[in-house]
Amino acid sequence: MNARLLLAAAVIPLGLIIAAVPENTTRPYKLTAEELLNEVSEGQQFMSPDEIAHMIISNDPSLQLIDVRSAAEYEKFSLPNAINIPLENLLSEEYVDILNQDVKLNVFYSNSSNQADQAWMITRQLGYNNNYVLQGGLNYWVETIMNPEKPAEGSPNEEFAKYDFRKGASDALGGGAAVSASAGSGTQGNTPPIVKSKKKKGVQGGC
Amino acid sequence: MGPLVVYEIISENTNFLLAFLIGISFGFVLESNGFSSSRRLAGMFYGYDTTVLKVFFTAAITAMLGLLFMSLFGWLDLSMIYINPTFLWSAIGGGVIMGIGFILGGYCPGTSFCAASIGKLDALAFIGGLFIGVFIFTEGYPLWDDFYKAKFMGSPTLNEMIGVSRGVLTFLIILVALAMFWVGEWAEKKFARKDYTINQR
Amino acid sequence: MKEAKKYMNPYLGGVLLGLVLIAAFWVSGRGLGASGAVKSVVVAGVETIAPGHAETATFYTENKEGHGNPLKSWLVFEMLGVLVGGFLSGALAGRLKFKVEKGPNATNKIRLIFAVIGGIFFGFGAQLGRGCTSGSALTGMAVLSVGGFVTMAAIFGTAFALAYFARKLWL
Repeated sequence: MNARLLLAAAVIPLGLIIAAVPENTTRPYKLTAEELLNEVSEGQQFMSPDEIAHMIISNDPSLQLIDVRSAAEYEKFSLPNAINIPLENLLSEEYVDILNQDVKLNVFYSNSSNQADQAWMITRQLGYNNNYVLQGGLNYWVETIMNPEKPAEGSPNEEFAKYDFRKGASDALGGGAAVSASAGSGTQGNTPPIVKSKKKKGVQGGC
Repeated sequence: MGPLVVYEIISENTNFLLAFLIGISFGFVLESNGFSSSRRLAGMFYGYDTTVLKVFFTAAITAMLGLLFMSLFGWLDLSMIYINPTFLWSAIGGGVIMGIGFILGGYCPGTSFCAASIGKLDALAFIGGLFIGVFIFTEGYPLWDDFYKAKFMGSPTLNEMIGVSRGVLTFLIILVALAMFWVGEWAEKKFARKDYTINQR
Repeated sequence: MKEAKKYMNPYLGGVLLGLVLIAAFWVSGRGLGASGAVKSVVVAGVETIAPGHAETATFYTENKEGHGNPLKSWLVFEMLGVLVGGFLSGALAGRLKFKVEKGPNATNKIRLIFAVIGGIFFGFGAQLGRGCTSGSALTGMAVLSVGGFVTMAAIFGTAFALAYFARKLWL
């Protein structure tokens, strides 16, 4: 039998089946309270300062930083290319297109991660995707990226690699001391440990 | 549940080992189908050998079907699969430049490595060219940085764009592919060459 | 030397290639690729030969993964596998032979010169288009990515359009 007909005999029925069954990727528009709690407790919304710094340095066009502090604070200091959406204006009409979209990766940040977390929670409950929170906020950012601490002698190599990266990032982003003052208010000392979150951008690809 | 790496079922080093094994099967299949022959690859563009078209599209529809069925059975999380982002202008510009390279060089990167492994010297020359081309790109990067990043569209999929389910689009592509195979087999008879035989089962 | 064995049936080969692609997705969440490995080697080479340059030039800083050796990447291992796999298949089928393959009307010299030129174009285009025929077109099509279809159409469309002008090389 002709191989082409054989192939057709195999793929056409399979294609019909797959066209007929509903997709297995149904996303609930709204999360149930349990699902939300689950995401919060797993810390799925967090992106580590290292991840963000890497994206800033590589000019990743998909990154959109969103400063949820007041306009005055934003004027004083903000991360590169961040836009300002103060928390109280979060639900205003003009920001819907920014917050509810599939193209970019929004990352909220505030001084600690509290306000940003609130912003995330609200948008998540509205069913928006692609919104994340800078872990530990600006305070933790300053601590880890702007003024990285040299790891102790005998630390594992990864620690040193991380330190080198942060040092480089700090230089690339204009160095530390200048910003630490402006972001200093509201230190809470509850910087969360860096969890390697697996449910993020998936995998890096490219040929 | 896959992908194994994303769900941290296997370690990074196991991943590299599997990459090596997948590469071996990739190379083996390419070579067994004659993708190590530049005349065979170029034959597609003159109609005397359309094997590349057949293999390429059969592989694409097999993979589309496979991914959807694996998702259906819950073996694979499609939302974790990497979908290459679309930067429209650079996708078109890059594709056109690659097309020029294809017809002049007779290989694409994957097939050139495969052909070099069985001793094709023109493939070695092509690989040398690849390195030069990549080097030119990386060195002159500031010149085309803007073009490279222009018209970013996120990672859209074709089915979202035309508003049908993945399954329906896959079925349509299957029909298109089968029609192309029919045209290909017709072309192989019409443009057959005396100095070239399609040596296959 | 004995006669080389016949090539596999293209439809069977296509199904097998599709299965390899699915395996790649299942393991690593991404498809196959080739030109990315070349890029890794180039980046690694520049970092070794001219580390100072790699610190300052935009492309290298943007592509620096922060830590780690660029050669330790999925695609590099995959391409090493391709060399082994191709060799195995060629050996089993009796196709191992040093030769320059070309159309009947082209000389070896012309063929090699155009192979290099073609390689340069392809290497450049694969970087600009974020992937070559395997990484962008085939893999992209399998996941129904718009970029994959666009790249595929651009590659094959251009090659078809220019086939007439390059006929001296192949016919």
